[in-house]
Amino acid sequence: METIIEVKELHKKYKKRKTKEIVKAVDGVSFEVYRGEILGLLGPNGAGKTTTIKSICGLLKPNGGSVHINGYDSDKQRLKALNYISAVLEGNRNLYWRLTARENLEYFAGNRGVGRKEVKQKVEDLLILFNLKEKENELVSSLSRGMQQKLAIAVALLADTEVILLDEPTLGLDVETSYEVRELLKRIVKEQGKTIIISTHDMPVVQELCERTVIINNGKVVADEKVENLIKLFESRAYCFTVSDELTQQQITAIKSHFPIYEISDQQIEITIERENDLYIMMDILKSEQTNIEKIDRTSVDFEQVFMKLIKEGQENDRALASS
Amino acid sequence: MIELWHLVSANTRKEFIELKRYFPNTISMILTFYFIFLAMLLGINVIGDPQQADTNIQYVIVNYVIWFFMLMTLQGLGFTILIEAQRGTLEQLFMSPKGMWRILLARITANFFLNGTIVIFLLILSMFTANQWLYFRVDLVLPIFFITAIGMVGIGFMLAGLAIIVKQIQSFLQILQFILMGLTFVPLSVAPYLIFAPFVKGVDMIRQVMIHGYTWGDFTMIDYSALVLNSIFYVAIGLYIYMKSENVAMEKGLLSQY
Ligand SMILES: Nc1ncnc2c1ncn2[C@@H]1O[C@H](COP(=O)(O)OP(=O)(O)OP(=O)(O)O)[C@@H](O)[C@H]1O
Ligand SMILES: [Mg+2]
Repeated sequence: METIIEVKELHKKYKKRKTKEIVKAVDGVSFEVYRGEILGLLGPNGAGKTTTIKSICGLLKPNGGSVHINGYDSDKQRLKALNYISAVLEGNRNLYWRLTARENLEYFAGNRGVGRKEVKQKVEDLLILFNLKEKENELVSSLSRGMQQKLAIAVALLADTEVILLDEPTLGLDVETSYEVRELLKRIVKEQGKTIIISTHDMPVVQELCERTVIINNGKVVADEKVENLIKLFESRAYCFTVSDELTQQQITAIKSHFPIYEISDQQIEITIERENDLYIMMDILKSEQTNIEKIDRTSVDFEQVFMKLIKEGQENDRALASS
Repeated sequence: MIELWHLVSANTRKEFIELKRYFPNTISMILTFYFIFLAMLLGINVIGDPQQADTNIQYVIVNYVIWFFMLMTLQGLGFTILIEAQRGTLEQLFMSPKGMWRILLARITANFFLNGTIVIFLLILSMFTANQWLYFRVDLVLPIFFITAIGMVGIGFMLAGLAIIVKQIQSFLQILQFILMGLTFVPLSVAPYLIFAPFVKGVDMIRQVMIHGYTWGDFTMIDYSALVLNSIFYVAIGLYIYMKSENVAMEKGLLSQY
């Protein structure tokens, strides 16, 4: 697998304008992106996804570390690096609302130094592919949010770069359009062999599109794995104890302190273990009050749960670090 | 090279489309120009001795046109940054591998071309209406003006750099036009040190041509060198300050609306 983007020990701080407080938006993020893959960049609100993406795009200068695109430093060799990437940034302001769909496509191509005639055929193809042909002469301001988003992706595609970055591409779209966008992206990767980085909250996007995911929280990477491996990993660690008695407060406290990820409901206790030994600890806790264990099951998890668990685990680790 | 051409033509198209879409704006600009030109031209007949008034009115008209282009150049880039930042499209522009400064340059070239065409057309039209024809040494005025404009573009870049960092400079840009108007009206003979100020030398030379009938040979090598060096100096320093400002903006995350 050939690396096309390398993010190394990236740091980015902001100074809040009003309070002058320093925010470490990205705090030592490292990962690689391979040619031809779709990488999901996940994390809760404020995790640092947008900051990471903008650093890759050369819109932000890192305070430390580096980003290389095809070998070019996205800060020191910014314009060279930009030859390989295009992006649809967060929100719906990637287009000129007072230009039509077609004019936007042509204008942005021109800004990259490509003429109207050269892109004529591709503009046609994209308008058809994105189902925007009928709207080509309408002002962007009159298009729906979904159409605007599709057009923004089309503009990024027209740049014909190897890498496309999409920051929350399905945010604010209805279920149907979100599905359409997903299908389009799938097709683009299959047919055009692009490398795509998607930042998202949208689990179906990750599950359906992304082979691999980098999960960040509080500016740090908490996981960098294939989606299926993450699910498998968590499934191998997730247990459900069914008990016949109610737990005492002491037991609950003990569970909380041992297992960062747990869920207690009625007579079921779901935990995620880290070591084999953890299972015995759990049994000891239950035995300490003579709680009757009816059965122990492996539980199946979906990706959303995996995500939540990873985030929780990361926060617990941070807390542990901070208190030690 | 061909890529730069596409850059300029795409931006010219965009600016042209916007002129069309903001038709009321464009029309009021056109009417204003037309009537100002007309009033000036007709004024020649009214104010006393036409022989004398002729050169003066010519000069006032040319000065007015220069002032218009100057304003457009100086404020244009700053306003472009402010408007793009407001619309949220600034970051997309910054993602062009051609570099934002080339896009800005393409925009200013486009505006020169579009507004230049409109203004020259209107000037001819109003001369036709007033049946009062002005005599221009176009072969002399145009090259001098062009070199002067390069220096103005430099100042335009400085202000654009300022606009990237400080988004509240709208009123400053507006006040600036009066300072600049002052600069264009002061003859160098009154304040010789203004030769170091941006574009004053160029405007002064145009004045010499218009009023005193200077020709190519009447200017010395010193005049030409001062003209060229002044422009080179201001465009170089302007671009430098602009680039530095870009860096500051990327450092502090000022390109987005955050
Ligand atoms: N320009 C800025 N100035 C100051 N603080 C900023 C700026 N941009 C981001 N931040 C802060 O940096 C942190 C990371 O923000 P970022 O936008 O990268 O997160 P995100 O993962 O994209 O979140 P979201 O899911 O909400 O889009 C947040 O705490 C945010 O408030
Ligand atoms: Mg974000």
